[in-house]
Amino acid sequence: MLLGGMYMEIFKINRKEDDYTIIIGSGRLGTDLAVTLSVNGGNVMIIDNNKDAFRKLSSSYGGLTLIGDATDIDLLNEAQIARASAVVAVTNNDNTNIMAAQIAKELYKVKHVIARLYDPERECVYRELGIETICPAILSANEIRKLLGNAQKEGDRK
Amino acid sequence: MKKRILLIGSFNKARALAGSLIKKGYCVTVINNNYQDCLTLSEIISLNVINGDGTKPFILEEANAQNADIAIALSQRDDDNLVVCQLCKKKFNVKKTVAIVNDPKKTDFFHKMGIDSVVCATSAITGIIEQQAIMEEMATLIPIGEGHIRIAEVPISHTAPAVGKKLWEINLPKEVIIGCILRHEHNMIPRGDTRILAGDVLVLISSIEQEIAAIEELTGR
Repeated sequence: MLLGGMYMEIFKINRKEDDYTIIIGSGRLGTDLAVTLSVNGGNVMIIDNNKDAFRKLSSSYGGLTLIGDATDIDLLNEAQIARASAVVAVTNNDNTNIMAAQIAKELYKVKHVIARLYDPERECVYRELGIETICPAILSANEIRKLLGNAQKEGDRK
Repeated sequence: MKKRILLIGSFNKARALAGSLIKKGYCVTVINNNYQDCLTLSEIISLNVINGDGTKPFILEEANAQNADIAIALSQRDDDNLVVCQLCKKKFNVKKTVAIVNDPKKTDFFHKMGIDSVVCATSAITGIIEQQAIMEEMATLIPIGEGHIRIAEVPISHTAPAVGKKLWEINLPKEVIIGCILRHEHNMIPRGDTRILAGDVLVLISSIEQEIAAIEELTGR
């Protein structure tokens, strides 16, 4: 499995050249996303300022890792952000995600930029500014409502 | 009506700035994350203090950001400052936003993101330190145009090579002009045939690259 991953990475077998995703923040969401994209044949780079955070990556991950501050323009250049087709900012700091997303969008014109924001109030402001945002609290609330709705329906049936 | 100014983040900068702005007659509100710092700040007379994270919209609302004329983000973190200014601008319609950036490479980016005034503390301070270290004679120095242009006061001593010369006789670099001569309480805007005398203080406007060469040419150092 591990060998297969390396083999693919070295020879870029089955990897589409124009598809390159940069993930900022190697937390649970970041690593999970990185592994999924990588296993499905995407080119992935994951950035975190803490080296230990990459331990969460499973061995099937075939992409690259980079240690450093992802709001630093030099580091983003090193990650070849200009070539990226997507940037996903999922650190645990909303403001870092906002700034990284805006740098990707405004300075490098990356096509898809997504930021995870914990604070729903901030989220609405930045959605208006044209950044695609994901807010876990809102998603969870919707999902819970759906589950409750289903339970209600089942209860009605009985 | 008094102008309202909102200061967000940083204890020392906020305290000094608040003190001087209140003296000038502004109505000042400070937002600070640290409770102890807030207690100290609240000792300043007629300063409003809000304890909380200024990057959160409800804290800004509590601080009456919608009524502020100017918002100044002073924190150590560039991302926090960016978010504070953008929230003030987009959500609370503050007319003017000012942000400190710590990373000089982000100055242009902040401008691009709609922040009205960007102060790069790092490059301003390193510039001044560099000048003070190299040229002790320099009295004041103001960086403008994002630090690319500087205004400096250059005193002319008796031994300076420029003494007795007319301005057009001095071989100044291209991107430098002498904007003003301060001569014993008497300030003059020089022309090409103005003669420089010992004891003059020249006000120099120059690009940072040419500044040192110009000062060498004038003072011989």
